Amino acid sequence: MTDVLIVGAGLAGLFAAALAARRGAAVTLITQGRGGLGIGHGCIDIWSAGVLERALPHLPDNHPYRRATISSLRSALTQLDGMLSPSGLRLSGSLARNLRLPTPAGQLHPTAFALTAQAQADPLTGEDFTLATIDAFRDFSLALASHNLRQLGAPPASLLELPMVGLPTRRDAYSTDLARCLDDSSLRAETFRAWKPRVLGIRRLGLPAVLGLQSHPVVMADLEDRLGLQVFEIPTLPPSVPGLRIEAALRADAQRHGALIIEGPHVIGRVSGASNGKRAAGVVAHTAGGPHVYNADRVLLATGGVLHGGLVTLPTGRVQESVFDLPVVHNTQRQTWTSPQIGGRQAYATFGVAVDHQMRPRALDGGPVLENLYAAGGLLAGADRTREGSRQGIDLATAYRAVEAALA
Amino acid sequence: MPGLSTQLLVIGGGATGLGIALDAVLRGIKTVLVDKSDLGQGTSGRYHGLLHSGGRYVISDPVSAADCARENRVLRKLAPSAIEDTGGLFVSVPTDPQDFPDRWLAACHANGVPAQEISPKSALKREPLLNPRITRAFAVQDASLDSFDLLHLLSAAVQSHGGQVWPRCRVESLMLEDGRVTGAVVRSLIGDDLIVVGAELTINAAGPWAGAIADLAGLQIPIALGKGTMLAMATRLVNTVVNRCKPPADGDIFVPVGTVSVLGTTDVLVRDAESLSIDPWEIDLLLAEGELLVPTLPTHRPLRAWAGVRPLYRPPTQSAQETRTLPRAHTLLDHQALHGLPGMISVFGGKLTTYRLMAEQAIDLACQHLHVQSACLTAQTPLEAGTSLHYLARRHARLEDPAHHRFSADVVCECELITRSDLEHAITQAASDDLDDIRRDLRLGMGPCQAAFCGYRAAGLARSLATQAPVDGGLAPFLAERWRGIRPLGWGQMLRQLELSRRFSQELLGLPTVEEDSA
Repeated sequence: MTDVLIVGAGLAGLFAAALAARRGAAVTLITQGRGGLGIGHGCIDIWSAGVLERALPHLPDNHPYRRATISSLRSALTQLDGMLSPSGLRLSGSLARNLRLPTPAGQLHPTAFALTAQAQADPLTGEDFTLATIDAFRDFSLALASHNLRQLGAPPASLLELPMVGLPTRRDAYSTDLARCLDDSSLRAETFRAWKPRVLGIRRLGLPAVLGLQSHPVVMADLEDRLGLQVFEIPTLPPSVPGLRIEAALRADAQRHGALIIEGPHVIGRVSGASNGKRAAGVVAHTAGGPHVYNADRVLLATGGVLHGGLVTLPTGRVQESVFDLPVVHNTQRQTWTSPQIGGRQAYATFGVAVDHQMRPRALDGGPVLENLYAAGGLLAGADRTREGSRQGIDLATAYRAVEAALA
Repeated sequence: MPGLSTQLLVIGGGATGLGIALDAVLRGIKTVLVDKSDLGQGTSGRYHGLLHSGGRYVISDPVSAADCARENRVLRKLAPSAIEDTGGLFVSVPTDPQDFPDRWLAACHANGVPAQEISPKSALKREPLLNPRITRAFAVQDASLDSFDLLHLLSAAVQSHGGQVWPRCRVESLMLEDGRVTGAVVRSLIGDDLIVVGAELTINAAGPWAGAIADLAGLQIPIALGKGTMLAMATRLVNTVVNRCKPPADGDIFVPVGTVSVLGTTDVLVRDAESLSIDPWEIDLLLAEGELLVPTLPTHRPLRAWAGVRPLYRPPTQSAQETRTLPRAHTLLDHQALHGLPGMISVFGGKLTTYRLMAEQAIDLACQHLHVQSACLTAQTPLEAGTSLHYLARRHARLEDPAHHRFSADVVCECELITRSDLEHAITQAASDDLDDIRRDLRLGMGPCQAAFCGYRAAGLARSLATQAPVDGGLAPFLAERWRGIRPLGWGQMLRQLELSRRFSQELLGLPTVEEDSA
């Protein structure tokens, strides 16, 4: 028996697990696979168009930020800092003004917070910098990044390709391979020795975000010590090393506070509980050994939206919530779900589960489906997080509000 | 205005036009070919990839079937590097007309289409995903033919025999002097220059645009346009071409192509060559019919949908209401004999499989006009095996080659196993800043991720190799085009794929959003 059972290990699920565990609850988190932190940019997007507090009154009432409130977001950010710092990670930024951080395509991405190594890329228009990549690394293009940054007013950057010692030969290198090389202290020392003559006279160096996974803070300090320069990171194609750093830190924090994380089972339904079926007594999951019941006092769904499998979209125009078959806000005209343009308004992106102010999924009559079932993150209806630039903010605010309500 | 003169001007860079140009240059005729976009941008590049055995239309159009059977044998000798010899099957499912297979087999025999009955059991052994309830099965000589490879071979052969191939040159007007067509004014879309091409004879091989070209000479030609929609399934569900043994209809054929299998096709009368939008009913129908052949189809992932427009000859007796029953054989119109306008011939209809035959007949006629006495050589002249890159076996072989420099063997596109050196070579050779052209050469972005990963990598290489490349290396239009092809399949797994692409494009790379949809 667990106090809170959380389904899903993206930002919302892991943050909720750490938060509830920090509050003394017995927490079990079940996840079928890795969450979405590994495919993003590793930043905390809150509201890309400007200041959320000013935009909030104009948002529709069912918007996840309106459901969760901005004070939940503020508290969540404070809590998040506390969870990351034991791993030596620090977020820089503010709710009052977005950072503008370079993307791998050389555009500027507005975001509220990022790990310090990334946040140091702002402002690019300050001191001159050199952009570098690792020899023939496929997932970061100097040509795209540098040229476009120049177009956007950054000072002209000189370009460098640097070697990485210890990479396996005859196998294509991903960002995580490079990061693991730098995690290793002896490989790192050798690599930085090789870099040293190449970076003489450079004071500010931009690199793809591969500067260590487990040992990121040490790698950064080492780099600045040994080579005497200030470094900033630019995200790469997935896997996202910055996202994985945050994932590892949150997992560690949740586990340090006693949370149990179970990977593999696919949660498929609920165990009916007391109060005439108005409560769930737990969930049923497919495990390697067959169906298994996990008893729980409260259940929090953080299974994500269309991409991560929380919502299943069918050719008939139906949209299902994948665990409890909760009512989903959507339209049934399949051809209207997407825009003809990739950059257009996508109807499907706003599909999801409607919740009350306690973050409990609502039945068609408006009341909660179950008294002890909560939902957070990408599963919630009412926001196109990509267009808004609000993904991580919504994850944090709604997970915070759901944990508050569940433990009240 | 700059200009040049030639004996023959060919309009259209599909299989027909390039085949005609090759036939002509082999007979010593000075030839220029123009196409308004890249080669194979029309029907040739938008087909299901089938080298016809002749079986498909053997009852409805025996002339075309017999042509296909002959040309099938010829092409296997001429262009083996563009063909994967998958073989073909015709199978009956229980709901198909059960008297059809015997009539069909008789027609195959009568028209020289090799076909041999095999037991349903051995058909299932060969293709385990087939409907286990099939009642009859026949083996035929179908194969998988990569049209982009074929067009590259043809284009290289034309040029090596002194012909000129000009992609991205649009015909602005036909020149009419003294009651005859004397060439065309073309606009180069690269330099935006107008060029006068004087020609003793012009051949209109513009496929679905043939009507528009004829219109420039004030002529109307009896052409009907039949749109066919196809689906690529993410894996090779079959390794053999599989047809239903019944009168041709929607969704009755699977063709294994490279890493995917193509399910085709619908046939809808459309007004013009640009009518390529896909209706939801077409997708639903293809999937429902495909399920009769492969019952597990709903558990597999459709990857992409596209449509091509067939230019079909419409006999004066047939109405324009539908296109499925129109003949598949090709048509050669001598405008001098028909309309009293010398200097121009139009060729359209036919199958990709019969492009060589169409070319032979067109140039036989052209020789009369040009007073050239020379026999057709295309059936005996193999196309040089070019650098056909996309077959997996060849790719694996190069990846395993220890002489390959480590970085140049890096796989840029995991789905289609395209290496950095493949891509560098293609970008340098193509002299094009359009990643979609590179896609046609290499299958870049045509696998399961639909360019979500390789698009950025390729754009980066394009940007660093080609100084004239756009600032984003051509990434935004490439992703937009990939989006367009997945969108008709926007549910389930492919909606997840679309969302992944969109997140990469906008959240990670920061490519722009647009405010209003131009629906």
